[in-house]
Amino acid sequence: MLCHLADLDDGEARGFEVPGLKAKVIVVRREGRVHGWRDLCPHYAGGTPMAWKRDAYLNGARTHLACHAHGAWFDIETGACVQGPCLGKRLTRVPLRLDKDGGIHLDR
Amino acid sequence: MQIIGPDFLVFGVDDVPACHDFLTAYGLDPVGYSPEKGGRYIALDGTGLEIRRRDDPSLPPALKTGNMLRLQVIGVVDEAALSAVEVELSRDRQVLRLADGTLRTQDDQGFELAFQVSIRKPLDLPGEKVNAPYAPGRPVNAVGVTQDMPAKPRTLSHVVLFTPDIDTAVGFYRDRLGFRITDTLTGAGPFLRPQANPDHHTHFFIRTPPYMQGVEHLAFHLGGPTELMLAGSRMMEQGFESFWGPGRHKFGSNWFWYFKSPLGCNVEFDADMDTHDDTWAPREAPMGPEASQAFLLQWRAKWAPGGGPPGGPKG
Ligand code: FES
Ligand SMILES: [Fe+2]
Repeated sequence: MLCHLADLDDGEARGFEVPGLKAKVIVVRREGRVHGWRDLCPHYAGGTPMAWKRDAYLNGARTHLACHAHGAWFDIETGACVQGPCLGKRLTRVPLRLDKDGGIHLDR
Repeated sequence: MQIIGPDFLVFGVDDVPACHDFLTAYGLDPVGYSPEKGGRYIALDGTGLEIRRRDDPSLPPALKTGNMLRLQVIGVVDEAALSAVEVELSRDRQVLRLADGTLRTQDDQGFELAFQVSIRKPLDLPGEKVNAPYAPGRPVNAVGVTQDMPAKPRTLSHVVLFTPDIDTAVGFYRDRLGFRITDTLTGAGPFLRPQANPDHHTHFFIRTPPYMQGVEHLAFHLGGPTELMLAGSRMMEQGFESFWGPGRHKFGSNWFWYFKSPLGCNVEFDADMDTHDDTWAPREAPMGPEASQAFLLQWRAKWAPGGGPPGGPKG
């Protein structure tokens, strides 16, 4: 389990280390739905982590996921870059599964 | 043109308190800060950053790309140098003289510029001294490091811009303002230094598509590599996230450590940059990992033999 739904406020994002994955998994909750994204900005080949501080993945207006190296903004629901260096690219989705008790898991 | 380099960089941001947290941890001193209005963040010699809200009406217009850099305030040596900039740039663009004597204009790609007689106050602070065999740098009994020694940004060093058209940028900064090209990373762009500053670079341009135009990173000089390592380690211990470094660049020889920031660009600690004069012959190398650094390291949490499993981030 990555975390519990109750640990994640609506509009909040957190990053989780997952054994075997070289980048963290970002879990972001928005309008009741939970999305998983790899913490890899697609600006540079191979990807680089995006937060400016632990769990600080959202832009200042809290409307988008952001890479804080050069300010790329990503749609929280689709992962598509909407502004900045990654236009035309998108984040890689991590499928998540919600159990009946509100636990958030990798769906694999 | 007797230009020294950037005195101030002004940003219009979405999250002022986050920038305050970041920049104070980075070691700049806040002046006049409020969460509603922002503030100025000052290095030891008086240069620094100004953080305002994106919608602050006092700011020059934003770049269309969303980048948060709003203005570069460039310092020159004296009034005569300021007049020389005014005369030169007035030939083909509007240059405003503000009430405080500052010049306001734009470069050829829409980056907003101000020029002023530099506000930097020369520092009477020793740089890092290194003891080498038969060549002691420090007096006897002087220790090289203490855990809590100061490691504060001393001066605003350089700004790196994502630039859609390098030729236009060079045409403006070299041919109009008299900057020298010190070296070039082919595939990225040139490093430039203004005539009244021996530092290897105050500006570096990276060629990008127009939708990326903006600031790529900015850097302040610290007193030496030990200060840089301490300052960066303190950031890591507080949960700030490194982007690149620590390491040592080849062009400029400066030690580097870049941190991602809520300013929408990387903010770098820099130390021990080369200086040059007009006898320097510019070098050129293809942009890539080999040309970008002499070595690259990765921070870890403190550890000692016998002290449990090694800590630190993975990958
Ligand atoms: S590395 Fe993410 S925007 Fe450049
Ligand atoms: Fe730099």
